[in-house]
Amino acid sequence: MLSERNSYFNKWEKRVLPFLLLLPAFTLIIGIVAYPIIRAIYLSFHSFNPLKPSIFKFVGLENYIRVLNDPIFIIALKNSIIWIVGVVFFQFLGGLLGAIILKQNFKGRAFVRGLSLIPWVTPSVLIAIMWIWMLDGNYGIINDILLKLGLISRYIPWLAQKDTSLPAVMIADIWRGIPFFAIMLLAAMEAIPDELYEAARIDGANSFMIFLNITWPLILPTVIITTMLRIIWTANHMDLVLIMTDGGPGFSSLIIPLMSYHTAYKQLNFGYGSTIAILQGVFLVIIISLYLRLLRKGESIY
Amino acid sequence: MFKKSQFIIFLVLILILFAFSIQGQKKTIVKYWLWLDDPTDPMFPDLVKQFNSLNPDIQVEYELIPLSQYYDKLVNAVGAGVAPDCARFKDWWLGAFVDANALEPLDSYLKNWNGYKDVVSNLWNTGKISAKSPVYMMPHQFITFYLYYRRDWFKEKNLPPPTDLSKFLEAAKKLTDPSKNRYGFGLRGGSGGQDQWLAFLVAQGARLVDRNGKVIADSPEAILANQWYIDLYRVHKVAPPSAPTDAYAQVLGAFQAGITAMMAHHVGSSVLVTQKLGEENVGVVPMPPSDPKKPATMVTMSGNVILSGSKNKEAAFKFISWLTEKEQMDKWSRSRQGQLPVLKSVASLPYYRNNIFFKVSLDQAKYAISWPPLPGVGYISAQLWQSLMQRALLGEITSKEMMEEIANALRKK
Amino acid sequence: MKKSEFFKYFFVFLWLTFILAPYIWIFITSIKSYDELYTFPLKYLPSKPTFEGYKLLIETTPFLTYMKNSIIVAIFTVTIALFVAILASYSFSRFNFKGKTPLSFVFLVTQMFPAILLAIPLFLLMRNLKILNTPFSLILAHSTFAVPFTTWMITGFLKSIPRELDEAAQIDGCTKLGVLRHIIIPLASPGIIAATIYIFIYSWNEFLYALTFTSDIKARTIPVGLHTFMGEYIIRWDLLTAGGIITGLPVIIFFMFIQRYLIKGLTKGAITG
Repeated sequence: MLSERNSYFNKWEKRVLPFLLLLPAFTLIIGIVAYPIIRAIYLSFHSFNPLKPSIFKFVGLENYIRVLNDPIFIIALKNSIIWIVGVVFFQFLGGLLGAIILKQNFKGRAFVRGLSLIPWVTPSVLIAIMWIWMLDGNYGIINDILLKLGLISRYIPWLAQKDTSLPAVMIADIWRGIPFFAIMLLAAMEAIPDELYEAARIDGANSFMIFLNITWPLILPTVIITTMLRIIWTANHMDLVLIMTDGGPGFSSLIIPLMSYHTAYKQLNFGYGSTIAILQGVFLVIIISLYLRLLRKGESIY
Repeated sequence: MFKKSQFIIFLVLILILFAFSIQGQKKTIVKYWLWLDDPTDPMFPDLVKQFNSLNPDIQVEYELIPLSQYYDKLVNAVGAGVAPDCARFKDWWLGAFVDANALEPLDSYLKNWNGYKDVVSNLWNTGKISAKSPVYMMPHQFITFYLYYRRDWFKEKNLPPPTDLSKFLEAAKKLTDPSKNRYGFGLRGGSGGQDQWLAFLVAQGARLVDRNGKVIADSPEAILANQWYIDLYRVHKVAPPSAPTDAYAQVLGAFQAGITAMMAHHVGSSVLVTQKLGEENVGVVPMPPSDPKKPATMVTMSGNVILSGSKNKEAAFKFISWLTEKEQMDKWSRSRQGQLPVLKSVASLPYYRNNIFFKVSLDQAKYAISWPPLPGVGYISAQLWQSLMQRALLGEITSKEMMEEIANALRKK
Repeated sequence: MKKSEFFKYFFVFLWLTFILAPYIWIFITSIKSYDELYTFPLKYLPSKPTFEGYKLLIETTPFLTYMKNSIIVAIFTVTIALFVAILASYSFSRFNFKGKTPLSFVFLVTQMFPAILLAIPLFLLMRNLKILNTPFSLILAHSTFAVPFTTWMITGFLKSIPRELDEAAQIDGCTKLGVLRHIIIPLASPGIIAATIYIFIYSWNEFLYALTFTSDIKARTIPVGLHTFMGEYIIRWDLLTAGGIITGLPVIIFFMFIQRYLIKGLTKGAITG
């Protein structure tokens, strides 16, 4: 009798419970985001100005054909790739170093760990205008310091030059995102049992060997997931670019979400704006699936 | 991790929050949107309080929106059918909103408004989309572009005040010395620079549209005038290297820090500039024209509109017209948000006549020209101009290509 | 001091310099008087520091209201999103069922579009739910957008916990949910803390939805409030910088307290569990 109930319960746990556990998440996601996303996809086949809701014209694939032939989209795509790869790579590198430093035992560690969040918690509007100010070509502190160190011979308008505007915004974004990586990787490192380290030390391994053979493989799943999430996040967050250069000068720091925003809200062409965003979404889906597939060989993620 | 007590606190908080959101109202509620330059200034909240106590049947509720998101949020609200009854508005946006029938024509209300004749007549044009169209925006606060110059530096080099464009260029060249980080003119290629640019275009006699409303932004005169402006940066190099992305904060900062000798701006910065540099060192002249007999400058108006979806248009008009009356206008113009009053009776008060910055600005009102109220102007002022100007300043496109793109955007229906 | 000790503190110092330098510059700016903001050549330190900006911020702007709203929204968002995400990641990490991979991918797809594009339909949705201008609209939106990332993060951490531990507990008579509560959550606490920080900061700094869904000062959060300090012709540097400095403080202090749970992970759990 008891065992019968147990087997029934076991079946329930195996077949129903996993879906039940997912239910709240899916209720939220489908209830809130599904409609807006479907609507965006729907809009991308139409010509639509939100000020004139009555004129809503089906244009078929016109927007998609147009976007693939749009030279500005190609520029934005190129910038987006530089933006995503550069930002995420350096955030990861900085975050890894930060996590290793914060993992050590030292006086005032809790305090330092708290302070490490600062770039992350500072509202982006302030980060943007502060970096604009620091990078200013006439009275910015960065120019002043570089000049005093003799690294430059005259003030450089970092945000006003074609070649430096995107890298300048990237530096601000890298600074902002490093603590995110640092905290995630720190958490992963803290989850590694001390016994493993002790055993390695007894075997006479040096710090570098320990990192390579114990820490790295064990934090790898977190590295992979965090990097992937950061790629998606970085691809779509344009707040710093918007305030710091608004894509300029010219199109030199224009990235795809910003182009989509300009098209939708400044040109009032929501159809085309949606198309641009959806195309980036499609690219992202492809890249992320490839990324996961490549990495799944080594470690099963899902 | 999740205790029962925490859950109960959560539920209670939800209930409390609900209780707050339910409130009964009987008065006519007028929703008004605006942006303010300085949110610590009590001037506007005081005005609303005063209006609400004067009109017990109307309750004005206002919403303060950051200017950088104002246009987007208004577009969203109109698109979602939840626009406010009335709103502060810029002449740049008129074309796009009128084209979409989103604004209420105000003529029938204005007939019965007794301040109509007190408004400087040229300024009513800033609220229309053509000479014959009804008025859609009630003029309220405006600015005209003039030129600041460093009087002390001019004296040092024995230069005459830059009253026309050849004197302007001459002085700009003589005062530029990159080795000392000094430049003749603070050119604004970044966000918001289109007004300064248009002021220089019209001062050279170029126009974006002719009297009949035909777009002539790609005429040879306009292309040449634009070339002259681009040359300030590319050929004469009298503007700081950062000019392509410099926005208001940078241009103003450079002038205040003693990096630039001249800045084209308006009364909105006069207090900041004189505070920092000393009144004796700051000179001001009307926008220098190329032909002294044909002065021209640019005006931009911020006024008030009624959204066509409003159900309380009478009450909304009562409020926005009340804001435009003499006393309220004077209060607003004198506040930290202050721009030029559109009423003659206010402009003639000693406070404005005795202030050189107000005086020069107001005297320009007669001949000042605004952006043509075409649908494309919203896009040009929000985005297109900036990217074109920057590419022109960097030498990626020619003046002709730039003006053709502007003309195309203006022609677009 | 040993050589290695010296290096350790040297690196901590370098790290802090890197992290703090721009923030310190913000702080110095916040205590400069307006006259000293724009100078050439540049002046590093204020000649007469003033805390006027902080005083004005508290006294003449509704900043404390904004802060209260931000705290309410962030705390509820953390509670809801964390709860939902832990359940979902437990399902993803400990069960095998059909459609797991596509389902987990659906989570991510919601994050692949720029938020601005979803603003109008979400606004309509919130209006239909009649929760515009209340913290609920933000709690709901923030939770929804935080859940997918959080789920993935926590799933990653749960995967690294050996399954043998749950099996042992199940043999002892624990149900699956019991395992989650007594084994998994304590063991995954570093990851959960990291996720908490992520959700909190996301909600704390979220600007676009906060702007779109609230119009009343009573419901506004800090990021929107800060934007109002940038006007057409006036930028209130004093208020902006003072506001920026204050904004970070509660989160930093909060983290200083909870960071010690970062280490209560597998080490202790593995021994007692």
